[in-house]
Amino acid sequence: MGCDVVTVSTDSKHVHLAWREHEKELARVAFPMGADPSGELSRMFGVWNVAFGTSERGVFLISPAGTLMGIEVNFHNVGRNIDELLRKFKANLYLSRKTTEACPSKWKDEGDKTLLPGAKLVGKVHEALQG
Amino acid sequence: MSDCTPLRLGQRVPDFELETYEPAKGDFGTFSLASQIEKKRWTILFFYPGDFTFV
Repeated sequence: MGCDVVTVSTDSKHVHLAWREHEKELARVAFPMGADPSGELSRMFGVWNVAFGTSERGVFLISPAGTLMGIEVNFHNVGRNIDELLRKFKANLYLSRKTTEACPSKWKDEGDKTLLPGAKLVGKVHEALQG
Repeated sequence: MSDCTPLRLGQRVPDFELETYEPAKGDFGTFSLASQIEKKRWTILFFYPGDFTFV
């Protein structure tokens, strides 16, 4: 699908190996697990927790041109929903081809209703979504 | 880099490199943004507080 996931925490690659091989919940994990021991990358993305010296639960979508296209950061006790991450990635992929359109909140995949932002849409979003 | 303002939407992400464990290969490796750009691939960076916790 033209996208690679890489996970990042302050743990070393050795600890990543140990966790991946020990935790049965990770048995199907195939993506690279990145090490940010100094927190430099976490600080660059604004998800460095100074008090704990760890990364916060942030997800960042970067385009093939290297542009930051999406940010989601949750408090430490809230997990992230993979379906929503996938939806946002698909929307970005679609909009990189259909640059005049916009994907509303209920957009899930190609073929679903999109919007055409402009003068004609002002005050008419409801009608556009029904139509 | 450590004192810089965090990145904002629409900004160009400076190149970075990470040491990785790659379960698919059962080996250590390196991940770099430059290589993703060269391969014209999207990247999802998924930060979490620590191994052996929930994600």
